[in-house]
Amino acid sequence: MVVDSISQLEKQSVDKMGSADLLLGLLVDLSPDDLARMVNALRALPGSPRIVVLQNRDAAALEPSAADGLPEDSSLSLVPWPAGSSSSPATPVQSVSAAYESIFRTGEKLEVRACCLIASKLEDATLEWVCRLIQPLLEDGFDLVAPCYARRRLEGLLNNSIVGPLTRSLYGKRIQNPMGPDLGVSRKLFQCVLAAQPNNTTAGNGMHLLASLAPLAGCDDIRVCQAYLGSRSYPPVDWTNLSSLLTEILGPVFLAMEKNAPCWQRTRNSIAVTTRNELKLPSSQPTGTVEIDRLISSFQLGLRDLQEIWGLVLPPATLFELRRVSPQEFRIPDELWVKIIYDFALAHRLRTINRAHLLASLTPLYLGWVASYARELENADPAAVHRRLERLSLAYETEKPYLISRWRWPDRFNP
Amino acid sequence: MWKQVQDALNQSATAFITKFASLLPGFVALILALLISLLLAWIVGIVVRRLLSRIHFDEWLVRRGLLSVADWSPARSPTLLVSGLIAGAVVVAGLLIGVAAFDSELTSALVRSVFAYVPNVIGAILVLIVGNIAARFLSRSVLIGAVNLNLEYARLLSAGVKWLVNVLAVAMALEHLKIAVGIVELAFGILFGGIVLALALAVGLGSKDLVTKSLERDAGKPSAETIEEPLRHL
Repeated sequence: MVVDSISQLEKQSVDKMGSADLLLGLLVDLSPDDLARMVNALRALPGSPRIVVLQNRDAAALEPSAADGLPEDSSLSLVPWPAGSSSSPATPVQSVSAAYESIFRTGEKLEVRACCLIASKLEDATLEWVCRLIQPLLEDGFDLVAPCYARRRLEGLLNNSIVGPLTRSLYGKRIQNPMGPDLGVSRKLFQCVLAAQPNNTTAGNGMHLLASLAPLAGCDDIRVCQAYLGSRSYPPVDWTNLSSLLTEILGPVFLAMEKNAPCWQRTRNSIAVTTRNELKLPSSQPTGTVEIDRLISSFQLGLRDLQEIWGLVLPPATLFELRRVSPQEFRIPDELWVKIIYDFALAHRLRTINRAHLLASLTPLYLGWVASYARELENADPAAVHRRLERLSLAYETEKPYLISRWRWPDRFNP
Repeated sequence: MWKQVQDALNQSATAFITKFASLLPGFVALILALLISLLLAWIVGIVVRRLLSRIHFDEWLVRRGLLSVADWSPARSPTLLVSGLIAGAVVVAGLLIGVAAFDSELTSALVRSVFAYVPNVIGAILVLIVGNIAARFLSRSVLIGAVNLNLEYARLLSAGVKWLVNVLAVAMALEHLKIAVGIVELAFGILFGGIVLALALAVGLGSKDLVTKSLERDAGKPSAETIEEPLRHL
């Protein structure tokens, strides 16, 4: 476990604290100014909770000035914390998940009321943005505070196309970013999550912690809300590792789906969750041109060469629909896309082919969807993007009976 | 003189008829054993086939991810394969019983030599099965990986890998069976080398751009994709 990677000195400093009200885990490198602003905002929280901040730092690049410049305060402790230690799992998603588990375990040790996890940089980080994740936990008794970012046309595509709408359709809660990564989690919820984890989570069955939060929120008596955090800085795309990314993200989502099948089969329709702070549409859209032709050619290549594999996963009608998609007026209808995702989830459950192969073979289809989406929204304003994604989410909900039928009778129901 | 010739002919005819008469029950027993075993094999085959169909054996194999078994089976049905194997075993047992009735010493010698060879056959079959599974897995990995890298010759690469592993497995199996070891080694070397050379030429000629991009990336030059692409997936 990653918590074991905390050095003896840091362990001792955590032990010395005994207990706290709130644990804040920073997985992102904040500048000294941002850190100071954040600490000041935390000190201003009502009720003066005792707060422990686990501050991410690379041992080699530790900047003492970041913490040393802050005034002494018994209610707030800063603990340097090596989130990216050598014993961490190899992939970024796994290491984030392992870091979250480590923070939860430290929170358990400190008997905190809630944990707050910050993993992304915000473009316009205001003074109180961290408090937006914390306040609903401490003041209003919510168990999970999920982030709500300003939706830009070409950002968070994997979440917008699969993870978000799938989670909404399955578990019936309209959470925009079910896998965070910036989250507020109550003691009750992180105890549930830790109890559900096998001893060695990330190296084990791949059922990682981030993917288990939304199912818990949907299936158990967990109070969920969203907090609007503004625009997020997304990491750039590594095209050579896109299939690994899909495998890392969708593998745990599909595993959680398998585990919670009795719950989501009972869930009908989705409900909105409380959203704190004003939801604003982003003022600008990202610049730069999308090479739609390249995305389409990736899809076409997959269609030509992966027929044998897709034929094991997708019903003939879906394959026929895919073949009918014209490269000139390239468009993948929502219903078709949703059925593809549901069929892949089912094939993942049935182990029709090796799971890593299955998820990697989804890449050309995903790129096809991205091409279709990017072409459709080429000159769209933020409101149109929002409407488009809402339409996709509704398609997931509309096609849910298809998933349930295939899930229950995979051999019999094959349209 | 003529009398002596007649006696000799009579003796040899008697000896032949006596010998044939002594062998005849063995022949009849062999034919009977074969016929009975064929009948028994037919009945056992039907029973096993029905039993496996009733427990949905084919679907069970698919659910367990053992799709490759279906590929080796007649009409892609593992049920037919299993029932055929069991029926074949019954026929072989009947044949051995028949041969034993014909000449017990011959049978025991035959059985001894067959049993001495069985470990080799089992080893060769195992090598072939493992080789086939490995070939399928690797070729699928290569195919998906190459398609995701946008390589136009993904299928060629995948087929090349599949044949490489299969050729290796067949050569190992023949080595196990001790069949023309020298020729197999030589043929394997030529075939394996040929496939590798063909793949190297095909891929090398087709992947100049990829290598250039890779070298550029290694040299620390940011690629155009990273700079211009506004897509963000996660």
